[in-house]
Amino acid sequence: MWSWQKRLNERHMAPIRRLLIVLATTILFFLAFRASIVTSQTATNQLQPGFNEALSTLQRAEAAGATSSELAPLVDLLNKALDLSNQANRLSAEDSQTRSQLQTQISDQLKSVETQAAQLENMASQRTFTNRVITYVSSGVGAVIATLAYAYGTSFWRKYRVKRTFQMKISTK
Amino acid sequence: MSLQKRTLVIVFITFLIVFEMAAYIATTPRPREQFYQLYVLGANHMAADYYPNDDPNIRMGDAVRWYVGVTNFMGSVQLVEIRVKLGNQTIQPPDDQHAFPSQAPLVTEFHRFIQDNETWEFPFIWQILNTTSSGGIVRILGLQISNQTIQLLNSSAQNGYNFRLIIELWTWNVDSSSFEFGWFAGTEHRIAWLQVWFNATAVH
Repeated sequence: MWSWQKRLNERHMAPIRRLLIVLATTILFFLAFRASIVTSQTATNQLQPGFNEALSTLQRAEAAGATSSELAPLVDLLNKALDLSNQANRLSAEDSQTRSQLQTQISDQLKSVETQAAQLENMASQRTFTNRVITYVSSGVGAVIATLAYAYGTSFWRKYRVKRTFQMKISTK
Repeated sequence: MSLQKRTLVIVFITFLIVFEMAAYIATTPRPREQFYQLYVLGANHMAADYYPNDDPNIRMGDAVRWYVGVTNFMGSVQLVEIRVKLGNQTIQPPDDQHAFPSQAPLVTEFHRFIQDNETWEFPFIWQILNTTSSGGIVRILGLQISNQTIQLLNSSAQNGYNFRLIIELWTWNVDSSSFEFGWFAGTEHRIAWLQVWFNATAVH
């Protein structure tokens, strides 16, 4: 009795199972097809980590007060490193030696940029600090000078008024 | 303390406050809007003449000359990327509302570090190298862009009408160490993209 029921169930389940397999295969096929369309974009979302470090050091230097003329040579170096990176990416698999030479060159340039940017950051932050101190001290000195000018001005005005008062004459009309 | 001295002290403090405030305003950088400017100009460096002889039907071997430019107004050095994609009428362009890039196939990309207030402009010269046509579907198989030959797979249009080159601006995110579509101005995600339509109907 049980085995008969089991066989009946299996007989009913078989087309459903087949349908499910076909459905799963179709879904997988469409997913794979969609994935192939998306991955046909071969955008370089990643760069050598050195680029990120160099850029963030450069941004820190700029935030510390480095001028655009000070940053320009470092930005040029970064762009040269970027060109080398593009060249390296375009090389075929057989050119591994050239690629490794280019990678070494890129790493050297990035390290150089990082070192120079760090020095620039120190220099710029010191300069900004000095400029800020000079500005605040100058405004304090300015306040002293303005107060002295006020004091001299008021005393001069008072003396002038006194002088004018004593120079007054009483005349009959 | 006499009245005169007291007056002088008050005057000095007033001047000091005013002058120090002026110094603070002078030394503190003002916040400004952060954005990029992206543009495409035609062969004569104007917003015109995008096609040879003003004909949007591009023939195979016709060199089309544009100038693509980006200006950085982000307030610091940035690494930007221009992604050029080849779409047709049915492929969705970038989604301005959700800041999603277009799913059109990528053709080529250009990178550059640019300083604040600097404009990076480069000539973008392209031509159709190879096409096939079957059943009213024209497929572009190869493009040459600035001396670089690019093979394409999924670029087709009905009767060769309404192809479009989509130019997207991507920027490097230092925190995530990757390129992202558009940029963040504070918490707001902004994007910049352009498209130029053309036909590949007269391919021979």
